[in-house]
Amino acid sequence: MSPVLSAEVREEIRAIASRYPRGEAALLPVLHLLQRLSGAITPVEERQAAEALGLDPIRVREVVTFHTMFRTRRAGTHVIEVCINLSCTMAGSEALVARLREVLGIDPGETTADGKFTLVTAECLGNCDRAPCLTVDGEDHGPVDAAAIDGVLAALRREEGLGEGTASRERGKS
Amino acid sequence: MTTTSLRPLMDAAENLFRLDAYRRRGGYESARKALKMAPSDVMAEVRKAELRGRGGAGFPAGIKWGFIRRDGDKPVYLCVNADEGEPGTFKDRWLMTHEPHLLLEGIIITAHAVGAHSAFVYVRGEYEGAARRLEEAIAEAREAGFLGEKIFGKDFDLEVVIHRGAGAYICGEETALLESLEGKRGEPRLKPPFPSSIGLFGAPTVINNVETLCNVPRIIGEGGEAFAAAGRPGDGGTRLFGVSGAVRRPGLYELPIGTPLRELLYAHAGGPAEGTSIKAVIPGGLSAPILRPDEFDLPLECSVLAGAGTMIGSGAVIAVGSNTSMLEVLGVMTRFYDHESCGQCTPCRIGTSWMHKTAARLASGDGESRDFDELVRVAVSIKGRTFCPFGDAAALPVLALVGKFRAELEERASEAAARKRSC
Amino acid sequence: MLKIRIDGREIETPDGTTVLAAALASGIEIPHFCHHPAFEPEGTCRMCLVGIEGSPKLELACATKVKEGMKVSTDTPEVAAARRDVLEFLLAEHPLDCPVCDKAGECRLQDYYDRHGRFAGRFRETREKKDKIVPIGRSLLLDNERCILCTRCVRFLRRVTGTGELGVYQRGVRTWIGLYEGLKIDNDYSGNLVEICPVGAITDADFRARTRTWLLEKGDSLCPHCGRGCNVTLEFRSGSERSGEGTKVFRVRARENPGVNGHWICDIGRYVYPKGIEDRCRRVLMNKDGNVTELSWDQALVLLTEKVRALQGAGRGGRVGLVLDTFLSNEELALVRRAFSGAVAGRNYWFADPLPGRADGLLLTAERTPNRRGALDLGFELRAPDLREIAKSADLILIFGTALLEHFPEDIVREALAGIQAKFLFTAHAGALDRSVDVILPTALMGERSGSVTNIDGKVQSFHPVWNPPGDARPAGDILADLDRALNGERGVGT
Repeated sequence: MSPVLSAEVREEIRAIASRYPRGEAALLPVLHLLQRLSGAITPVEERQAAEALGLDPIRVREVVTFHTMFRTRRAGTHVIEVCINLSCTMAGSEALVARLREVLGIDPGETTADGKFTLVTAECLGNCDRAPCLTVDGEDHGPVDAAAIDGVLAALRREEGLGEGTASRERGKS
Repeated sequence: MTTTSLRPLMDAAENLFRLDAYRRRGGYESARKALKMAPSDVMAEVRKAELRGRGGAGFPAGIKWGFIRRDGDKPVYLCVNADEGEPGTFKDRWLMTHEPHLLLEGIIITAHAVGAHSAFVYVRGEYEGAARRLEEAIAEAREAGFLGEKIFGKDFDLEVVIHRGAGAYICGEETALLESLEGKRGEPRLKPPFPSSIGLFGAPTVINNVETLCNVPRIIGEGGEAFAAAGRPGDGGTRLFGVSGAVRRPGLYELPIGTPLRELLYAHAGGPAEGTSIKAVIPGGLSAPILRPDEFDLPLECSVLAGAGTMIGSGAVIAVGSNTSMLEVLGVMTRFYDHESCGQCTPCRIGTSWMHKTAARLASGDGESRDFDELVRVAVSIKGRTFCPFGDAAALPVLALVGKFRAELEERASEAAARKRSC
Repeated sequence: MLKIRIDGREIETPDGTTVLAAALASGIEIPHFCHHPAFEPEGTCRMCLVGIEGSPKLELACATKVKEGMKVSTDTPEVAAARRDVLEFLLAEHPLDCPVCDKAGECRLQDYYDRHGRFAGRFRETREKKDKIVPIGRSLLLDNERCILCTRCVRFLRRVTGTGELGVYQRGVRTWIGLYEGLKIDNDYSGNLVEICPVGAITDADFRARTRTWLLEKGDSLCPHCGRGCNVTLEFRSGSERSGEGTKVFRVRARENPGVNGHWICDIGRYVYPKGIEDRCRRVLMNKDGNVTELSWDQALVLLTEKVRALQGAGRGGRVGLVLDTFLSNEELALVRRAFSGAVAGRNYWFADPLPGRADGLLLTAERTPNRRGALDLGFELRAPDLREIAKSADLILIFGTALLEHFPEDIVREALAGIQAKFLFTAHAGALDRSVDVILPTALMGERSGSVTNIDGKVQSFHPVWNPPGDARPAGDILADLDRALNGERGVGT
């Protein structure tokens, strides 16, 4: 994303901030917005959020690093998030993670070298009655088994114009 | 919502969450009625209802509202705690997704009672769908004149703002929620002062859980006494119990307060899943100390569970099956609290990590029996010493697990050690 | 005022104080890390937990306000266990750096372990690895492994200097404190961070590995570098004949004074002062015909007295001129007036002080000497030096200090002084002005003499010698007293 915010984005930020008694309260929604637009919260986005809301950039980074949902590096095109908390673990999330590691060739926290898939684990996504659960690009799936995983991945790979079969074994840190 | 459904709540049919469908079910009539009442009368009704907070702390809502200082020069704020992060809990997600107008109606009545004209719904970041659903509902409500200026034709303005979190369980603690809402790290605040006097941006603030507020329309509709009578003395009404784990029918069950745990598990949730038995139950979310089968007759009631050394918490009932390793349960438990500790205070910051490191070492086969004693000791050193209740949430479940399932834990640890040696 | 009991002992304390403040004021120790009297209670270190009758749990002494009749206990097994546990937690994730850490000997973690710990550590896991030796600005070094996350440094930079260079990142045990995008701490109060850090997480490169705290001698003094008169503690090691070294000042630390400098001092006083005791004049020197000879004090006094008498005899007693400065104490200025009443009454004096700087809105004043207010209160006019006037009005001149060279270039000063027959320079430091005068008389610095100065707010503060002046250097006051006696005879006080 360009270091300079467009007029539209600035207006959107202004509208968000106007809903709160003080502009600083809009930090989380603004960070979500900037991350959606540019894929990550880098020092550029930190400065943009800071300037837009009258904050010191250092305070922005304090908040960014406190939360798990803000990424400092772009994720892959598709983010697969697997819950590994209790109900899901008891229902077999470990096997799901293992399957995904095998198929994608990456560890949780990493992105495939072709930049298509990022795998992350999560602490309870609130879908416990449909364990084991995961999200794909924010959409909930559960209960999921190996077949379901394979199906979802196949669909995504088709979407990405990739062939069948396992992804490259090279990995990038996400 | 009446207490007739004693089966797992399936996904509601298409569009039942919409305003027109909600109104056909009698929606917003309680709000209309409440706005004709004096705020103190609304509060009195909720006090009579003996509605306890449904988020985990179980504090009586009517009494909490009574602490609010309305007479100062600062506005009163209402914050809705939709940060639902307690592992095992999914009721608020369901409510926001399928009954968004019920929540809005509860917000309207509560705002009127406490004198708030701004309500902020802090939705955990991962619930993007629920947040969207709420935004849509707000738009519908505004159009119908139920939110915005002069709602229901009364001289009362109310704006509801949906505010998404970004992945931090601790933001479910009410003062950490306020810090996060103010644009800062979600670190709990020193109390006193309490949010009812100094809360959001220094103004008097009420913070209530989603489910708590969802009960308010019913209380106004049928009266506080009827609501109280549906539950137990001091703990009125019904609540949504979320069952997950080794049961045939995981899901949400709306049942009266005081329903025995055994009844919930076996009569409603269908008993143990195929090929397993239930060897333990966590009755109120991961932070509620675990129960053995001989404790399954306990009623799901705030004070009774507290007296039994556990808690009703978020009403999230997790059934642990016989095929689950208790060492794995210990690992998930300690990993979760290590991951979610805000890090402010010494015992929690270091202690949660210490417990996780020890549990991980035990799971990997490098531990021994005395490590369980160490775990207990660390948990005891955290208990009662921390800045906020997160410390107890981390320590008490470990104490209960190790205290009640020591034999199995030791066995699993030995197995892991043997596996490691044979590699 | 209320009455409370701490461990059975009755304490009277003002309403609104915390248990911790009440205890400290009564000399009762309640260990704590994150609390600092300059800030609101933080409550996160959990070290100050005490028992309060009526409360089932231990409560924070730092955050609990006293109530009439409150009963506090700090000596119970429960409190002892809570303290031990906090220490065990801190030490679990703390590196064993004591042998190489500058904080050793004045480290709260060490001190509290000694008093409240003494347990065998039971942490068997792997410690978190974090950055060590991170330069964070000025002469400061940050060690994230030693840091106990009391956040005093973060709060200081937010609330005292308002500069906010440090932030708290991540969460849980992975939390760490650091700069933002390498933007270093660059304010004049950076040195206070080393003092407020309770452990060796923030240390001073200035002090690093140079000595051990227990080898330092300490003495109270005042900072002479501006009109605030901040209270300081000078920490030094005396020289020895054998090593051939003089006194070495290792550190200047802030000494709390609520009415003057609060809890802080600025970096000028902290870092400039130790250098100020180097390059000293040690002997009375005379410049004559291109040669430099040493004189004794007697010889110097006789010479000066004779010169003055000669002028008086020739009816030109009014031709004695004085270039003063406001490093001189109240007593010294009074002695100047006493010894040279003619010159003072005849307004044949000027003040050559270091040029003023910018006041920083906190402690540092625009005036850069400690006693301008004292001079004014004593009735002196603080007239800036006018070289032409000086050259015209004096046949004998006494110059105190070398700040004249901040007002004029050296050759201009030399030229102006050239026409004055007898020139005597009283200075602690050797320097360029030496060449323009006839006799150089070595004087003592603030840490080497006694007196009083009046700060910018009119507060009179005394100072006393902390170490001996080097060589033959003497307090200006003593020299002036001798001169007065020689010139005016024994008159006793009160003239």
